[in-house]
Amino acid sequence: MTSGRTGRAASPLAAPPDLGRVLSGLDMIVLKRELDDSFLLLTDPTASFAEILGTVRAAGVRLSLRGASDYLDHFLFDAAEFWLRGEPGRIRSGPWLEAQRDGEPRALEAQALRHNNEAFLIIEHLGAAYDAQVRVLQSARDHLLKEEALEREVLRRTQSIRLREEEIAMRLLAAAATRDGETGSHVRRIGLYAAAIAEALGWETGRIADLRVAAPMHDVGKIGIPDAILRKPGALSEEEFRIMQDHTVIGARMLGNSEIPLLCLAREIALGHHEKWNGRGYPQRLAGEEIPVAARIVTIVDVYDAMVHRRVYKPPIPEPEVLAAMAQGAGRDFDPHLFDVFLGILPTIRAIRDDHLDEAVVI
Amino acid sequence: MIHLKLCMVGAFSVGKSSLVQRYVQSMFSEKYHTTVGVKIDKKDIALGATPVRLLIWDLAGEDHFSALRPTFMRGAAGYLLVADGTRAHTLDAALDLNRQIEASQGPLPFALVLNKEDLIDQWEITPPRIEMLERRGVKLLRGSAKSGAGVQAMFEHFASHSLKERAS
Repeated sequence: MTSGRTGRAASPLAAPPDLGRVLSGLDMIVLKRELDDSFLLLTDPTASFAEILGTVRAAGVRLSLRGASDYLDHFLFDAAEFWLRGEPGRIRSGPWLEAQRDGEPRALEAQALRHNNEAFLIIEHLGAAYDAQVRVLQSARDHLLKEEALEREVLRRTQSIRLREEEIAMRLLAAAATRDGETGSHVRRIGLYAAAIAEALGWETGRIADLRVAAPMHDVGKIGIPDAILRKPGALSEEEFRIMQDHTVIGARMLGNSEIPLLCLAREIALGHHEKWNGRGYPQRLAGEEIPVAARIVTIVDVYDAMVHRRVYKPPIPEPEVLAAMAQGAGRDFDPHLFDVFLGILPTIRAIRDDHLDEAVVI
Repeated sequence: MIHLKLCMVGAFSVGKSSLVQRYVQSMFSEKYHTTVGVKIDKKDIALGATPVRLLIWDLAGEDHFSALRPTFMRGAAGYLLVADGTRAHTLDAALDLNRQIEASQGPLPFALVLNKEDLIDQWEITPPRIEMLERRGVKLLRGSAKSGAGVQAMFEHFASHSLKERAS
């Protein structure tokens, strides 16, 4: 600190000698705020305040604290407002670590208070009390970190069990899907795309894993649609289309009456993946957020995947054309927010496509 | 010399202090040392021809035991929201802190730092979440306090960005 910040008070108001010794023993300094925003040091400072007080070694000196410490500058702004309001009580700065020339930073805390219409600033070196606070907090956080690590390990093991279940489910679903010319890769991709959207939405890990398995079950109800309709090469008649629509209800029935969260989710998806955002879908003509979010997600990824890949009845469509066509459907067929999320994660969607190319299509 | 105040915020044990220590002192310690209160470090740098003193406010990690005081942001040129790539919930905590700061201080320049890139094979923060944040316009910086990768760029890119914001 420069000598420009200090000056001997005209009428020193230092604390009485006994009180001064007590305060010094507590490793704190007391300052009285003067009208010109300077401070009068009322107690003899200890070495803990050398960085803040500079060359000041004894009580009775008037000084400016501006620029003495970045943190104290910040607190003095709050303190000035507090003193101005004239409220009783005190405000605390919270602890801060002040760098010292001797290397080790010191933990300090300031308090602003009013007494007899005068404003005072107390700065305390927290010393051992701070160290004790750090130890308690460190121990609590170390404990939390250990708990987190254990939870991660449980999750890792659960996921490894789940992967085996997923593999069985995928193989069965892929076998069922071949009936209408779909591939096993399509089934897998639908789950992975849907899970990627759920990740982008910040879903909880277990729910994402459920969606990854449940989404591929969206068309499981096609098992109940006659071959003559399911595998008809041309356009469906009105009656045939009505029968085809039943696959949503059949799927929901197959997956219903279960308390297993994954199957409940799969039922929602099977029933709702042909609903449209504008309420013109089927089977229930639900609109907007009445349609379960998982179903809304699958609607988007199912359309995308069907369009960009070859089917027995059509060649693959270039992705830019697909996205342009789908953009027309945002807010009409699709949830516009989820479609935006889908667009936001296109690099991941493309990576899933590249990693899970179609095998030969079984007709 | 221009003074730029930059705050480090985030959940506990995401590596805020380690990033500062790596940047200011080129050091790293494996052991987790919790921060209580605020520690201010300074570093003088040159951004082009402009000398800048960075005042880096390392704020205690947010959790049940310690809550962020949004007033700490007063006078800040911006803040780095730090998350640990290996702990997905620290990203949620960072985004929640961001909402708190914006609600109390209004919009301030910030960047989201994904730390612990040296452990990328253990990351829980997945590409879709990252892509989504980028789509929403969140400036994302990655690095590792342990290896030092990306750390200098993280601070100086952000300082440079803040300086431009201030000029405009």
